[in-house]
Amino acid sequence: MDHTVSKIMSKDYQMKAAINQKLIEMGERERLKELLRAKLVESGWKDQLKAHCKDVIREKGLEHVTVEDLVTEVTPKGRALVPDSVKKELLQRIRAFLAQHAAL
Amino acid sequence: MKMEEGSVSSLDNSKLEGMAQDILSELVEDACLGLCFEVHRAVKQGYFFLDDTDQESMRDFEIVDQPGLDVFGQVYNQWKNKECVCPNCSRSIAASRFAPHLEKCLGMGRNSSRIANRRIVTGNNTNNKSESDQEDNDDVNDNDWSYGAEKKAKKRKSDKVNILLTLCCCYCYFFYFNE
Repeated sequence: MDHTVSKIMSKDYQMKAAINQKLIEMGERERLKELLRAKLVESGWKDQLKAHCKDVIREKGLEHVTVEDLVTEVTPKGRALVPDSVKKELLQRIRAFLAQHAAL
Repeated sequence: MKMEEGSVSSLDNSKLEGMAQDILSELVEDACLGLCFEVHRAVKQGYFFLDDTDQESMRDFEIVDQPGLDVFGQVYNQWKNKECVCPNCSRSIAASRFAPHLEKCLGMGRNSSRIANRRIVTGNNTNNKSESDQEDNDDVNDNDWSYGAEKKAKKRKSDKVNILLTLCCCYCYFFYFNE
């Protein structure tokens, strides 16, 4: 049983890796990144997070703040603050790509 | 994979959906990381809190629009009428003529070599006129291929190239006809 489970998992992993590679090779990942960035700026997500960063910096001290501090404080909030409309649009594009290029 | 035919498509769909969510999650994380790096750099370079300056201090940095001043308020034609001493020839030159003068004085500009060459050629012609009468025969033989060289005061590069080309052609014909 364990053997078949690990077989399934590695197959999924392989498929995921193959899809990711296709995304990168065809330039679609870069396009999706740009689209996401534009939508996030438009929706005010960047400004919200920047304000949160200011609080973190004032708390940790301007001289001593590190990248790790920012990442640990900012990333969870950043994930939560992404608007649903943006998520929906990105997911649509990703699904379309998968429908075309995922070999089943 | 142990699956029944009927449920294959739905399972694959959920798998695809899972993959799509994963991809979105990675993209969001990339965006967050990008912002962190941007902010961190702004903090370390000192420009993160720049837009928080109060109105009072902002007025110090307003664009200056007065005659005789640039946008930073600095005087920009202050050195127009000053004079500089050339370190080479120790002459006093006007500031706006200083750079061209230095070029010629130090012999380093684009035109200074041309002017020097021209001076050499005109200097040689005026010097050699007295000597050429004695060496007439030699001169006649030498000047067979270099048409007009002794007549023209300025020996231009194109003439030298013509002479070289003619020489090469003659040698080539020699060799071809001797085969």
